Amino acid sequence: MKRPGPLLTLLAGLVLGLFMLTLNVTSGTKTLSSSTQREASPSASPKKSANPSPTPTVTPSPTPSKSPVANASYAGRTGDDTASVAVTVRDGKAVAYFCDGRYKEAWLRGPVKDDGSMKLTAPNGAVLDGKIEQGKKIRGTVKDEGRKYAFTADKAVKPSGLWRATAKVRGAKIDGGWIVLPNGRQTGIVTRDGKAASAPRIDPETGAVTVDGQQLTAQPVTP
Amino acid sequence: MTADPNAATQSYPSRPPTPHHDSPARYLVPALVAAAVAVGLGVYGKVHDPAGTAFNLAGFSSTGAVKSWLATTAFFFALVQVVSAFMVYGRLPGPSWSATLHRWSGRIAFLVAVPVAVHCLYAFGYQTYSTRVMWHSLLGCAFFGAFSAKMLLLRSERLPGWLLPLVGGLVFTALTLLWLTSALWFFRTVGVTT
Repeated sequence: MKRPGPLLTLLAGLVLGLFMLTLNVTSGTKTLSSSTQREASPSASPKKSANPSPTPTVTPSPTPSKSPVANASYAGRTGDDTASVAVTVRDGKAVAYFCDGRYKEAWLRGPVKDDGSMKLTAPNGAVLDGKIEQGKKIRGTVKDEGRKYAFTADKAVKPSGLWRATAKVRGAKIDGGWIVLPNGRQTGIVTRDGKAASAPRIDPETGAVTVDGQQLTAQPVTP
Repeated sequence: MTADPNAATQSYPSRPPTPHHDSPARYLVPALVAAAVAVGLGVYGKVHDPAGTAFNLAGFSSTGAVKSWLATTAFFFALVQVVSAFMVYGRLPGPSWSATLHRWSGRIAFLVAVPVAVHCLYAFGYQTYSTRVMWHSLLGCAFFGAFSAKMLLLRSERLPGWLLPLVGGLVFTALTLLWLTSALWFFRTVGVTT
């Protein structure tokens, strides 16, 4: 007689897996972060806005977006792999950071249209043209100092995201920006009185970073 | 010799080997099922829209922590698997219940790994944006396929002696690499936190 054990084991695993899947599909998104990025609702659930209840309903998102475009953060690399791009979308507005981790950076801002397309601009003249594709990623280009970079930024789940810290350290005006990619890779620049340089590593869970001997806490960036 | 048609038929203790015994089906079925499981998981991961959701277990700071510790638990039981397997095959001195230990530590390791995999697939899907992630996605699918094969092969008797250890070894290797490309990464990037 063939032993039943192995088949029963497989069956048990299958049943457990389906049970967990059902739990995932029917319970709401419990966002991990208290203060950082708001996660957009999973695209699978219908958008029943205006009811931010934390109990297991199909509507997750503690802050429903005031525009048809979901609140979300995206982070990724440029096509030539020289720089990182992060975009945070909230209530139909976006802020983006383009950073090569050495000396090229730009903070861009602008509105996001209902169809998910956006054109963000920076004080130094840089421009980001992009479009959110099915709520999963942003594809676009960044034009900075005459060069054009294509990029794809995937939806960022904590601990990945976009951080900024401004402070006065040792008499110098510090402005630091960090992009943490989903794979953990960090790209950041700290400008000291306008002079840009590679940024030290940041703690992607808390924003803690030490610049020139002083402990700072970077904040997640929202439009 | 004449056979008595009225005699009750008896089953002889040693039947002549039926073609069924040596049929390729004994290998094909497990292999096909393994492939179907692996490919099926991969396709689901690719096609499904990653939800980025989390499940929170009391006492853990984040989903990453929950999964990393569950994965570490599974890996621990996998180590027990290897040791007990050596005992079953007589390579290591072991108690008479080595086989039972092997079966049960295996079941626990597998069942503990299932919720981790479900969440991985549901929240992240099959990703290839970095080497680590690509290998993890690939191996995740391969692990469940290999495990299915191992389970199904166990139902056959008279397998070549090297087959079960080989497949078992593949399962263990896959799980080890899975742990290295996820839990270890998490502990090194975020910290050994619960």
